[in-house]
Amino acid sequence: MEEQDQMQSSIEVEELEEQQQREGKRLEEENVVRFLDSLDSYVTLLDSLSSTLRQGWLELASARQSMGASRINGALLDLKFHSAATSLQVTHHDDEILNQPHFTLCKWASSKNGYGDEKLRENKLQTNSDGPQLRHRSQFAGTPEKIPETKGAPLIVDDQVQKERTKSLSMFGTLVSPKLRAAQLSFETALETLVEIANVRLTMLSTSDQVRKELEGTEG
Amino acid sequence: MHLSATEYGPYLQNEPSPLHTTTIVEKCTLKLVEDYKHMLCQATEPLSTFLEYITYGHMIDNVVLIVTGTLHERDVQELLEKCHPLGMFDSIATLAVAQNMRELYRLVLVDTPLAPYFSECITSEDLDDMNIEIMRNTLYKAYLEDFYRFCQKLGGATAEIMSDLLSFEADRRAVNISINSIGTELTRDDRKKLYSNFGLLHPYGHEELAVCEDIDQVRGVMEKYPPYQSIFSKLSYGESQMLDKAFYEEEVKRLCLAFEQQFHYGVFFAYMRLREQEIRNLMWISECVAQNQKSRVHDSVVFIF
Repeated sequence: MEEQDQMQSSIEVEELEEQQQREGKRLEEENVVRFLDSLDSYVTLLDSLSSTLRQGWLELASARQSMGASRINGALLDLKFHSAATSLQVTHHDDEILNQPHFTLCKWASSKNGYGDEKLRENKLQTNSDGPQLRHRSQFAGTPEKIPETKGAPLIVDDQVQKERTKSLSMFGTLVSPKLRAAQLSFETALETLVEIANVRLTMLSTSDQVRKELEGTEG
Repeated sequence: MHLSATEYGPYLQNEPSPLHTTTIVEKCTLKLVEDYKHMLCQATEPLSTFLEYITYGHMIDNVVLIVTGTLHERDVQELLEKCHPLGMFDSIATLAVAQNMRELYRLVLVDTPLAPYFSECITSEDLDDMNIEIMRNTLYKAYLEDFYRFCQKLGGATAEIMSDLLSFEADRRAVNISINSIGTELTRDDRKKLYSNFGLLHPYGHEELAVCEDIDQVRGVMEKYPPYQSIFSKLSYGESQMLDKAFYEEEVKRLCLAFEQQFHYGVFFAYMRLREQEIRNLMWISECVAQNQKSRVHDSVVFIF
């Protein structure tokens, strides 16, 4: 009787071990798949960035052809101090699983207009952390800026974004060619892609570390 | 390599490799300026005045470049290097000290050929991006009208050919102002004030262009005028990218026709404009080569003759 009980419990233990092994293997495979997915996204995004930048540079050359070299040249860039139109936010996740920073682009945010928060929510690179440590990196600002909360209709936000775009192009004049505006949009898209690449790269490196650890554990 | 076999060759032969687009344009422009000065020094009145009129457009561009660059706190020397050589005048560097248009006029421009064109835009308002843009277009409008009147006074074949070429220029500017001001803060009244008082589109076309809100409305206005119908027929709806090339092609066609007649000054204007188009072509080709996008060369190259 006792022998039968022992056999039963050893069978149960074996089954439990097999189940754990299967679970472990499934997790390994999931990590490998996640790594390969992130690698694929990374390569695709790099390709997309390259073609967007090529398009942007050609559109800029085309705008120069249209408006004239005296209207589009580096000597017209504004050297006066002004706040950044676009900034990068770095958030840290404190949990053990996603222990990596996350980059978010805050496009056309302006403390005067106060719709930067709305733009953040509309941005596809959303963070979903609870009480993250916020680091705000801005191109020109010495101290971090606070983005005030605002609630506006999407149309009002689009209108403000358009105004900010026009304002940043105004160094070349207020009546600029549509080609210059197209170049601006291309470089804006390239900037978004760059931030996406940074996030995907972090994911890729993180999953690569996990896969390597699992392989080392298996070999050990 | 290909340019070495042309008259631009001597201007580029001493430049170190790799050649940048800006270097090619700068040296080709230098050649153009020397050819222009050669014509000017041998010209008598009224041809010499006619030739000087051709440079006033570049003068306006240079004035605006200096004023804009100064507003952006750029070094004056750096700005002077970017000015077009055909539009240089003695006191151009003094433009940097002016705070408003009244000072611009009083300190510098009163002694230049642009002085008569300032009567319509002298204000005491500080110079900002919008005022500078309005100043640029107002000056150019006054210049075109003055040039037109001068050619009419010359009469004969010069008046006939130049009125066609300048009317086309005025109409093209009206279209570009309309398209470029879509979505900006420029009001309809201000937009209308920037259109010239001559040309095929004056006055009814201008009334309609002033209220256009998108490229398709501009197209609707222009297609009522047969000479411009052919230009807009090359474009698909909503597209404005190829409009510049279409206008350049039409301009080149008209400039080439100027050589069909004899004993008029229009050939000098046509020669200078065609040389500028040639330099634009070289600029575009060298940009496409530099960016490794040779398949896009035909997007903006306009064939001459």
